[in-house]
Amino acid sequence: MRTPPRLLARTLTVTFVMVAVILTVVFVVITLDVRDRVRAAETDKLRVSENVFSALENKRQQDQVAAMATLAEHPTLKAALDTYFTERRFSGSSDEQLRATVTGETAKLATQTPADVLAVVETDGRIFTSAGPAAWRWPVGTSVDIPGGAQPVFQSVAVLPGGAFRVTGARLTFGDRAIGALVAGTSLDGNYAQELSNLSTAGVVITVNGAVVARTVPDQVARDLVASRASGGTVTLNAEEYAVRPMLFSGPARIFMLTSVDAAARTATRDALLALAMIAFGSVLLAALGSFWLARQVSEPINRVSGEIATMTAAREFDRTLELSGTSRELDALTTAFNDLIRSLDAAEAETRAAYLGSIRALAAALDARDPYTAGHSERVSTLSVMMGRVMNLPPKEIEVLRLGALLHDIGKIGVSDQILRKNGPLTTEEFEQIKRHPALGARILRQVPFLASHLPIVELHHERPDGRGYPFGLRGEDIPLAARIVHVADAFDAMTSARAYRAARGSSEAFAELQRFSGTQFDSVCVEALLAAIPSANDIEEPALAQLLGRQLVTHH
Amino acid sequence: MSIGARNSVLFAAAVLGLMATAGTHPAAQERGSVRGRVSIGIPVTAKRATSTYSRNVPTVTLAPESELRHVVVYLKDAPRTAAPAMHAEIRQRNENFVPRVVAVTVGSTVDFPNDDPIYHNVFSLSRTKTFDLGRFPKGKSRGERFDKPGVVKVFCQIHSHMSATVMVFDHPWFTVPDEGGTFELPNVPAGTHQITAWHERLGDTTMELRVEPGRSDTIDFVLPVPAQP
Repeated sequence: MRTPPRLLARTLTVTFVMVAVILTVVFVVITLDVRDRVRAAETDKLRVSENVFSALENKRQQDQVAAMATLAEHPTLKAALDTYFTERRFSGSSDEQLRATVTGETAKLATQTPADVLAVVETDGRIFTSAGPAAWRWPVGTSVDIPGGAQPVFQSVAVLPGGAFRVTGARLTFGDRAIGALVAGTSLDGNYAQELSNLSTAGVVITVNGAVVARTVPDQVARDLVASRASGGTVTLNAEEYAVRPMLFSGPARIFMLTSVDAAARTATRDALLALAMIAFGSVLLAALGSFWLARQVSEPINRVSGEIATMTAAREFDRTLELSGTSRELDALTTAFNDLIRSLDAAEAETRAAYLGSIRALAAALDARDPYTAGHSERVSTLSVMMGRVMNLPPKEIEVLRLGALLHDIGKIGVSDQILRKNGPLTTEEFEQIKRHPALGARILRQVPFLASHLPIVELHHERPDGRGYPFGLRGEDIPLAARIVHVADAFDAMTSARAYRAARGSSEAFAELQRFSGTQFDSVCVEALLAAIPSANDIEEPALAQLLGRQLVTHH
Repeated sequence: MSIGARNSVLFAAAVLGLMATAGTHPAAQERGSVRGRVSIGIPVTAKRATSTYSRNVPTVTLAPESELRHVVVYLKDAPRTAAPAMHAEIRQRNENFVPRVVAVTVGSTVDFPNDDPIYHNVFSLSRTKTFDLGRFPKGKSRGERFDKPGVVKVFCQIHSHMSATVMVFDHPWFTVPDEGGTFELPNVPAGTHQITAWHERLGDTTMELRVEPGRSDTIDFVLPVPAQP
């Protein structure tokens, strides 16, 4: 048969399963429902931050326009440029000193703008001079087409052979007379994309004529963006959802800002799941502790009660009751039922014992009755032994053993012939040997009854003597069990105070004297003392009460 | 007074002038005068220089009349000829140079009086004459003498939108048209000449004209309208 699981294991299993089910449900809810909410919230957040950035970017562009308008009023630059053109037109030759002046002033101004290049463009669109880090991409003399470049101030995108530039410019004028334009260009390259990205905290993709020229997002995302031809909204790029916002659509150039909604939601969801994991860990721990405590609360008293029962069973003490644990009504009911069971078993056993005792007593009485002289002998020895045992403060159990053992002490005489038992006169040695066999015989008979195992020593050894001259083994002193010594003294006392076919009964005081005389040799001295104490008025043995107690009247009056 | 009538008067005056000089100067016989009109607007074919009659076709005027004051008509290939020094004036008024264009002979002086209640500055970076008159307040005037022929751009360092042009010639054959665009170059040596109408902004138009001695030839200029922004 399979061993059933421990209560603790079962409780823990149930608890863990429940917690796991709850957590699974919560996890599903979070990943399905909360993810959507997070996504919506993140999209809103992105829109807000993009609006803020757009406003800032617009402001920045306005500032740039204003700055360019201011720079375009540089008197020396304008004067030199106008003089240069006027002279070239008038005389056909140009003053390189004036060109150098313009170039020098432009270079100075270039250091004051964050742009990659600052250029002076002639009215016919040719680059007069350029300065700044990207000036090499604006070679002098090259024609550059700036959409909207004829406006007093303008912003657009210019595509040069060296790359596309976002330009902000202002015309150089005297009244309504334009002599050229001052143009600040920002290269639409990785640096600019990175700068925009840093400011907007979004990804940036720059395309010119549909080709990606700069990006701060993975290549595949940028390519998908171009392929999608999207100009805004939510677009799926490289299997992720992106919020796309057009930042600049100017000429052939497009600047997109894009943010992965999934990535943002992922962070928030991860945070939520992390919190959930903490809660899960905590609840599992609490549930484990709780169920452990509960299981212990239930199993410990059960273990205690079953341990007690095991102890009781091992010691065969069924006379005491189990205490109620008070931990649970069910366990107390079980304990009470057990106690009731023990009590009823006790009662049944007592009944059985009584029946046994009755039969044994009847057997003993029948035995005694074989010889009129020994009638009631077993009962008297039993009563005497019990009295002595009480004087010696023996435990009740041993008293009971004493009572029954004494009753049966001469059971072996069943195998001794009546002829010898009733022989009126001294026994021959042979006859006496036969008599001496009765303890061993009695023991052999009683060995058949396990119930009487503890009484065996009394039956077998009640003729041993402290001086070792007893039979059947000749044991000495303390080697002889106390019960056997007690019965030995009681037997002798009763035998002496009883009449025999060959002699009259002696008085109890005479018997006492006899016992005391052989105390320590034939009789155990402690037992003799006990007998004396058990019969306080031993000197007045004729007293009726004692006589009755001893059951002597049967003998004395017959 | 109609343009035709005025032209007749001018023509009469020119004839009188020619007659007056004819007797005193032997070379006078070989001189003629050039008259004409400058307009700004849609380009039309210039009248043939040899045309014997004047054709006055009203033209669409696309620029304010005052723009015509910014035109200088001159003989482009004129030989170096001494001419008396002149005295011209460019005022600074309402943050503008008035007039914006003056034409003078070599050795002339141009004064720059300040009429504005604010400081102005007058400077030039031109090869012909580089100067800086510094800053001066209302009521003050500073002058500059121009000893070399050429074009001189004048600016104000304080007000970067202000500009003026001084054209310095080493001959007397130049003029600024009146507000109607009419001009006359008298005593032009007979022969074929390149005549230029120069405008500070609209560029210049040069035409060839054969000047007959003792005659007044007519040439009309139409300066192109600048590309509208």
